[in-house]
Amino acid sequence: MSKKAKIQLIIFLVIYTVVGLLNAKLMTAPPSEALKNIANRWIVQFGPKDAWYYRINPMTVIMSVAVVAIIIAFAKSVHKEFKLIPNRKQAFAESLMDFLYEIVESSVPNEKYARTVFKISMTLFLYIAVSNLIGGFIPGVSVDVSIAENGTRAVKFVLFNDTWFPPTGDLNTNLTYAVMVFIISQYFAIKTKGVKGWLKGFLEPVAFMLPMNIVGELAKPLSHAMRLFGNITGGGILVLVISYLVKYMFLPPFLWAYFGIFSGLIQAFVFSTLAIAYMSSQIEG
Amino acid sequence: MEFSAELAKAIMVAGKAIGAGLAMGIGAIGPGVGEGSIGAHAMDAIARQPELTNVITTRMILADAIAETTGIYSLVIAFLILFAL
Repeated sequence: MSKKAKIQLIIFLVIYTVVGLLNAKLMTAPPSEALKNIANRWIVQFGPKDAWYYRINPMTVIMSVAVVAIIIAFAKSVHKEFKLIPNRKQAFAESLMDFLYEIVESSVPNEKYARTVFKISMTLFLYIAVSNLIGGFIPGVSVDVSIAENGTRAVKFVLFNDTWFPPTGDLNTNLTYAVMVFIISQYFAIKTKGVKGWLKGFLEPVAFMLPMNIVGELAKPLSHAMRLFGNITGGGILVLVISYLVKYMFLPPFLWAYFGIFSGLIQAFVFSTLAIAYMSSQIEG
Repeated sequence: MEFSAELAKAIMVAGKAIGAGLAMGIGAIGPGVGEGSIGAHAMDAIARQPELTNVITTRMILADAIAETTGIYSLVIAFLILFAL
C-alpha cells in the first residue's frame, strides 16, 4: 500500500469514527419513532394548491445538479490531458466507454445507429452510476419530513444520519428516463420500418394479439423504471434501518459497499443495457 | 368507545405487518428460484467453455437483475403497505 492510500484510509477511519460517535450520542429516539418518516419526501408547491404539475422535489433537483457537475468536472479533467499514451484517468474513461461500446456493437450491427444508441446509453450509465454511488455510501445532509394530521409538512435537515439522497431514489427521475428510452425506441422503429411497418408490427404474429402487443410495449418503461427505483430505495431504507440499530459503528461500510457500490453499479449497468436492448429490438437492418 | 378505537388501530397495525411480511416473503420465492436456475446454467456454461467466462458472467448478472424484478416489485409493495397506507 502506498503512502497516499494509507493517509486516505486513516482519514476515512477518523471521519467514520467521528460520525459514528456523533450518531451514537444524537440518535437516542427509539427506532419506531426515528424511522417513521423514511418514506416522506420534501415537496415544494408553487401556484395553485394540490396541482401536481406545480410541484417539485427540491432534493432531487439539487442532487441531480450535483451529479451533473461531478460528471462534467471529471470529463473536463480527462479532456484537459488528452494524450495518445493515456494516463490513469484517461485509461479508465476509455475502457469504460469501450466496454459499453462493445455491447452496443454486438446488438446493433448498423454503425449509424450504434453511435446514437451508444451515446444515449452511456449517458444514462454515467448519470445513474454516479448518482447511485453518491447516494450509496457517503453520509451527508438528509431531510427529515414529518406530516402533521392536517397535511402540513415540517422539514428538518439532519446531518450525517443518512447518506446523500440519490436522484435515482425518486421514481420521477427513473420514469423520465424510461419514458425517454421508450419514445426513442419507437422513433427508431418508425424510422427503420416506416409508419406502415411499425403499425404492422403490432399485429404480429396474428391480428388477435394486438392488445397483448400494446400492453407489452407499455409495460417496458414501467418495469424499467420500477426496477431501478425499487433497488435504490429498498437498499437505502435497509441500510438506514440496520445502521440505525447499530448506531453507525460496525456494519455500514460493508452494507454501503454492497448496496451502494456493487448493487448500484450493477443496476446502472442493467438500466443502460436494457435501454440498448429495447432500442436495438426496434431497429431493423 | 375508546377501547374500540384502540382495537381498530391495533388491528390495522397487525394487518400492515402481516401484509408486508407476506408480500415480501412470497414475492421472494420467484426470484430465488429464477436466480438459482440462472446461476446453475451459467456454471454449466462456464464449465463447458471456460474461455467465455467474462461474457457469461456479464450476461448472468444482467439476467439475474431481470429475474430480480418481481422481487423488487414486492419490496416496493411492502414499503407502500408499511409507509404509505
